Amino acid sequence: MIPHLQIDGLSVVFRGDDEARILLDDISVSLNKGEILGLVGESGSGKSLLCRAVMGLLPSRQLQVTHGSVMIEGQVLDLAQMQTVRGRRIGMIFQNPTSHLDPVMRIGGQISEGLIHHKGLGVAAAKAEAIGLLTQVGFPDPERAYDSHAHQFSGGMRQRAMIAVALACDPEILIADEPTTALDVTIQAQILRLLMDLRDSRGLSIVLITHDLGVVAQTCDRIAVMRDGHVVEQGEKRALLAAPQHPYTQALIAAHPSVTTAGEHLPPDRAHQPVFELRDLEVRFAQGGGLLRKGKELRAVKAVSLRIWPGETVGIVGESGSGKSTLARAMLGLTPISSGKVVFDGLDLTQDRTATLRRLRSDAAMVFQDPFNSLNPRMTVGETLAEVLRSQGETPEAKIQPRVAELLEMVGLDRSFATRRPRSLSGGQCQRAGIARALAVNPRVIIADECVAALDVTIQAQIVDLFRQLTAHSGLTLIFIAHDLAIVRNLCERVVVMHYGEVVEDGTSQQVFDHPKTAYTAALIAAIPDIDPDRPINGGTPALNQPELTL
Amino acid sequence: MLVAGVGILAAFVILAFMAPYAAPYDPIFQDGTARLMAPSPAHPFGTDNFGRDVLSRVVWGARIDLQMAVIGVVFPFLIGTVVGTLAGFFGGWVDVMFMRIIDVVLAFPFLVLMLSIISILGPGLSSFYIAMALVGWVSYARLIRAQILVLKTQDFAVAAASLGFSRTRIMFRHLLPNALAGSLVFVMSDAVLVLLSGASISYLGLGVQPPLAEWGVMVAEAQGFMTQAWWITLFPGLAIVVLAFGFSLTGDALADLMGVRE
Repeated sequence: MIPHLQIDGLSVVFRGDDEARILLDDISVSLNKGEILGLVGESGSGKSLLCRAVMGLLPSRQLQVTHGSVMIEGQVLDLAQMQTVRGRRIGMIFQNPTSHLDPVMRIGGQISEGLIHHKGLGVAAAKAEAIGLLTQVGFPDPERAYDSHAHQFSGGMRQRAMIAVALACDPEILIADEPTTALDVTIQAQILRLLMDLRDSRGLSIVLITHDLGVVAQTCDRIAVMRDGHVVEQGEKRALLAAPQHPYTQALIAAHPSVTTAGEHLPPDRAHQPVFELRDLEVRFAQGGGLLRKGKELRAVKAVSLRIWPGETVGIVGESGSGKSTLARAMLGLTPISSGKVVFDGLDLTQDRTATLRRLRSDAAMVFQDPFNSLNPRMTVGETLAEVLRSQGETPEAKIQPRVAELLEMVGLDRSFATRRPRSLSGGQCQRAGIARALAVNPRVIIADECVAALDVTIQAQIVDLFRQLTAHSGLTLIFIAHDLAIVRNLCERVVVMHYGEVVEDGTSQQVFDHPKTAYTAALIAAIPDIDPDRPINGGTPALNQPELTL
Repeated sequence: MLVAGVGILAAFVILAFMAPYAAPYDPIFQDGTARLMAPSPAHPFGTDNFGRDVLSRVVWGARIDLQMAVIGVVFPFLIGTVVGTLAGFFGGWVDVMFMRIIDVVLAFPFLVLMLSIISILGPGLSSFYIAMALVGWVSYARLIRAQILVLKTQDFAVAAASLGFSRTRIMFRHLLPNALAGSLVFVMSDAVLVLLSGASISYLGLGVQPPLAEWGVMVAEAQGFMTQAWWITLFPGLAIVVLAFGFSLTGDALADLMGVRE
């Protein structure tokens, strides 16, 4: 059988001013008709570049294809043909639909544009066809969606709109570049399901690029693993997942949060007073409004009551907009509280603000999501740590440098990192430095806000491991905020689920994951991408009816 | 670029310091026998209508013009930086107050405002510096404020707050160094503007007073003789252009170096 799309020995070289670097080295991958091929790799592995090279859309003149060919149904494509192939035979969808949809053009217009241009349809026929496409990709009210702008939709609906735009020219092959990375898990499951349905109904061949092995395991037929511009391994998904040959594939599978197991914890101390006690905590933000018009109020956190005990490892999970980050900031006194109480270590933040803040600053520390952004770019790691030690005022000047070295060692960094600036570090190293800074306070509580979300899977596993070590042998209380339930299950003994600012579920990890009490939690758990290929997407449960269409 | 820019600036600084030795004549000595002489080996840049040596005057002028460029930039920069940081960091009424003041200052044409302040204070270099400080800070304040507004929401600023650092420390140790790159580059192009406005103010007779040698004054005084003795205007004019070019080159190179354009 002739493969639908065949990439044969493709190499791409970056020609810089003084050096040439090989970015893609002799890549050979093939995609059969009606197949979904998963292209897996971490950031910088060249998976997106490969697809751009196939489309003839290399982002810079310094990038050149030096060897190899791309064939569609056995026919070699040359550059001259690309214009007709692009869009027409190969469609593409991207990670960030917001930046790939025209913000000032109506969704319908963007779909009809392709239909009129490529298929030569009349305006009315194009509209009818566009509405048909919108129905296919799951818009509940396609007529209204046709006349709407991109900003009127949520992220998931925008991704659906982008798929409709890509499908407008009736391509045979769809390249999906991290189509669900920016989306919440439940929405991710819906989009993946949609891609599979489209494959079945239209006979599309799909290349799905992702960094999450769980996503490919459940949707793809074959998997190609990429690293540093090489395809290290490819094969049928079950065979590949069951018996990975290459050590990197083995490491990727081992690092996937759905396979690692929960760690040991010291039992939390529930005898004394809780570290944090929240009573009916509310945080509201004013939205819009002006001098004369009163704006709406957004209730980011609604009447949350929680007790967190010393030594506990608590995961706070929820999708974007669930208020989990706001909750963390309110607990640390970084966001004003609208009503309710935050009690830290017996001190009431609303009544005795200065004393509580002083205690919070010396006993609680935060680790942030974006590792590069959370360190001052102009200071070296050593300076950053030393500054914290000095401001705490407990370490004598002579002991500061040894302590800095000790902190770096605790987070698994060599002491030579003290003289480096964030820009020269990798994401994982930067995050370790961020954790070292939190530890410099010698805190009783660490609040980690989405601190692994921006990292590659293998690095994620390392950071989670680091947290596990830190919490296992000390009385450290960890509040771990994440949207990724699988990681929380591995790390935390207790899980708090938030949804639209409310706590909908609170219990031990085992209890919550095995017997969720609310339908929302059940849907969240079911949507976790699992590395087991026989587990259907979304656990086979019907998609939760979410108020997604915000028109 | 950096080498060329800094080279030009350094050459002028050395020239200014060495003026007594570098200048062949006393810049204000009038030689009645040698008026309006074309450039010659004795007077390489010629002489002016009072018989003063143009080369010596250009060399001594470097002292005053460099001083104008530096002082005329430093005070606006300092005031603007502090105001911008405070406005950006505290927001609220502090911000509103400073921003309205800036609007008022910007509502008047730059030169008109400068001229009115100087005419109130009386002509002279110190009036020029005061006027410059009163008017020039607004651009720096705006630049810095915009940067601080962005930076203060970033995680490292929140991290600093969560670690209990004082506000002053967060503002000046964490936010300001990151906000400064853009305005440091602007300092260089602003120095050019200050130099030119200093020259124009002197040209209008409100800055440096004769017989002191200053390039702007020299151009102004010589304009009546433009057709007979082009050298009197040309050389001080060239000096202004070359110094300005040096500042621009340095500013450009700084922008690349600090990654402002990223």
